[in-house]
Amino acid sequence: MNLKETLHNTEKFLAERMPVEKMNYASMVQKKEVPVHGLAWGYYMGGLAMFFFMVQIATGLMLLFYYQPTVSDAHASVEFITDQIPAGALVRNVHAWASSLMIGSVLIHLLTAFAMKAFEKPRELTWVTGVLLLGITFGFGFTGYLLPWHQIAVNATKIGLQTIEEIGGYLPGQMAEWPRLAKEIIQGEASVGQATLSRFFSLHVIILPLAIFGVLGFHLVSVQLHGMSKGIDAKPRRLEKFFPTFLLKDLRVWGIAFMVLFILGACLPFESLFAYPLFEPFDPKGSTPDGIKPEWYFFWVYYPLELLPLWVILVGSTLLAGVLLATPWIFKNTNRQSLRLIAIAAGIYLIIMTLFGENIYHLFKG
Amino acid sequence: MLDAFLFIGLPYIALIVAVIGCLRRARLSKFTMSARSSQFLEDRQLLWGSAPWHIGIIVVLLGHLLAFLLPNVWSGILTVPLAMFGIEALGIACSLLALAGLGTLIYRRLTSARLQAVTTPSDLLVVALLFMQISLGILSAIYFRYGSAWSTGTLVPYLWSLLLLQPDMAYVAGFPMLFKLHLIGAWLFILLLPFTRLMHILAVPFTYLWRAPQLVVWNTIRRRQHAVVATVRAESRREFIKGAAGVTGATGLLALGVSTKAVNFFKGASHDPEAESAMLEKKLQRLQLTAEERGYELERQRHALILVSPYAELDPLKGKYFIDYAMAPGLAFKGKDGMPIVMSAKCTHLGCTVSNTVDSNGRVMCPCHISYFDILTGIPNEGAPAKAPLAQIAWALVDAAGKVVASRTPGQAVTASLSPEVLAQCSLYITKPAKAGA
Repeated sequence: MNLKETLHNTEKFLAERMPVEKMNYASMVQKKEVPVHGLAWGYYMGGLAMFFFMVQIATGLMLLFYYQPTVSDAHASVEFITDQIPAGALVRNVHAWASSLMIGSVLIHLLTAFAMKAFEKPRELTWVTGVLLLGITFGFGFTGYLLPWHQIAVNATKIGLQTIEEIGGYLPGQMAEWPRLAKEIIQGEASVGQATLSRFFSLHVIILPLAIFGVLGFHLVSVQLHGMSKGIDAKPRRLEKFFPTFLLKDLRVWGIAFMVLFILGACLPFESLFAYPLFEPFDPKGSTPDGIKPEWYFFWVYYPLELLPLWVILVGSTLLAGVLLATPWIFKNTNRQSLRLIAIAAGIYLIIMTLFGENIYHLFKG
Repeated sequence: MLDAFLFIGLPYIALIVAVIGCLRRARLSKFTMSARSSQFLEDRQLLWGSAPWHIGIIVVLLGHLLAFLLPNVWSGILTVPLAMFGIEALGIACSLLALAGLGTLIYRRLTSARLQAVTTPSDLLVVALLFMQISLGILSAIYFRYGSAWSTGTLVPYLWSLLLLQPDMAYVAGFPMLFKLHLIGAWLFILLLPFTRLMHILAVPFTYLWRAPQLVVWNTIRRRQHAVVATVRAESRREFIKGAAGVTGATGLLALGVSTKAVNFFKGASHDPEAESAMLEKKLQRLQLTAEERGYELERQRHALILVSPYAELDPLKGKYFIDYAMAPGLAFKGKDGMPIVMSAKCTHLGCTVSNTVDSNGRVMCPCHISYFDILTGIPNEGAPAKAPLAQIAWALVDAAGKVVASRTPGQAVTASLSPEVLAQCSLYITKPAKAGA
């Protein structure tokens, strides 16, 4: 294949995925229709994730007013926000709850989009950007976890970063050093300290947001350009106008989500879900306290990591990432019924590992 | 004598007549309880008369009623000067509005031939009395300022004394003539209530708010089609208004709630010297800790010997934490032979800090993934997540004179042995590891 042909094919591929001629009000808003069927609730999940993301931006910017990203002041400033600032506890709690709810809805969005075969041509790039968004979202979770600088945050981050270094043991020759270098670049100094906190802070509030805005912009524009995917093999019961019918329904879901979030934020401190007092400021000279673990949304990989040798997890997660990114091409000819079964299986795995991961761990490790 | 009749006799007569008359009229001729509509005969001037009149008079009457029913709440509100000015201004504005509307209604009633045909003497009596009553009210409000405030201590007790059947006209005997006339007017209206169109104030059309829209059916096909179209439009407009009102109300409440929270959030903490100094103290402590740590780092870069602890403080079962040359935690114990055991406390698995408490097998535990390390050799137990032993750290014992009396580098034997008396005087130091390749 010569260069000209390759360029031509690439252009054709992109033109089909990004139909710029459709970039107008009429086809992006007026003509768009949403199918109504049994799985149609899945169409709300992406919007819901975006709603929680917007809440995160608003509350995050508010927290930025008082948070101080230094080793000596970080924990004190978080305490100050919680105890002294009017509604500070609420804002911080809503930020914590919305992060979990955002990741939850992103995961459900992934599973439903998979089950509905929403990655079919010409929506491949929408799916791929969606997978990237998932990664960025996990990045937000990992970097945000460190910022309060309490025992569990610092120690869990230490373990997480050390795991990266462990990968080196499985790589041949010169490459064995790469994970350690990567870890040191992220960590910034010999152990998790001020440099790490500064880097995580800038990742959490500048770099990742910039990245997510770009990818999310592409994701949303292509959703509007291609319209909603059909979702089921059979004919949908009816079609519903995106504007205003579906949009209003979407807003109603957002309203309910806001209510739930606000009530949770006002009534149930996120930290009350942890059964141990790990929220003391990090003490570099003390021993690591018991019960260090990551946020619940990493349980699905954390508990297997505790139980199985690292290389199994490495191979598994590399495969998973590859399969997720290549899903539009791997499952091109799979029917929706099989996709739905795979999605249900994955969902069951996620739920079981998240809820009972600890019990399973103790079952094997005593 | 006349006063007694006007302020005690007349009220009771009026109230008794009104109650009996209204009940009688409500039961016997229910459908006369409204003010007969004349919109059909004339509708342009009606809008400019009826709307301002009703809006104005409803606000004013509700103000009177509120002051009468809840005098304490009312005077509570009025203690805020701004609220009192606001209420006075609103009252006068609304009564002027009502007076203007009433004027329009009177003019209309007297100039339209079609209306003249359906106007009864009682209608004219009512409007004339109303005009006088409103004028008297406005004049009272202007000449005897802040009636909204002073009436709670004079007029309201009088009205309650009537209601509780212990009439006491002492409160009103000293009233100015203008105000007495306004009061007499009020009793007259109550007296007239069952006999005139005034009774329609008792028939408040609350059900209007949720009754189905009414379809006016005309007797020609064209009109009928128009009517259907109009009904559909009216109904969709009604739904739209209901929806819009709901959305606006909800959004407004939401915005109000969120903004009060947000505004206070940005305003910051209230000034509390105690909390501020506590916060400052905490921050200072942590800054000192951080400075201390920076100091350690510098010390480890510059010095060949770092103090861990005096020898006397070492314990065989409870390790002493310190920071080694790699800025990672280390542990020091007293060995069985009296020589120190000094090793890294950074777990070789994922870098947690191991515990400093020695168990019965002479081991310390890493709490993260449960590895047990022998403190003598540093070797982890079989099957532990950690594979490599904890590193030994080079140390030196220095006596009170600053002379190194014993030392050990990992993998080698202790260079000296000392008597317990000398040891007690010593301090344990760690020594700088030789640079690799140097």
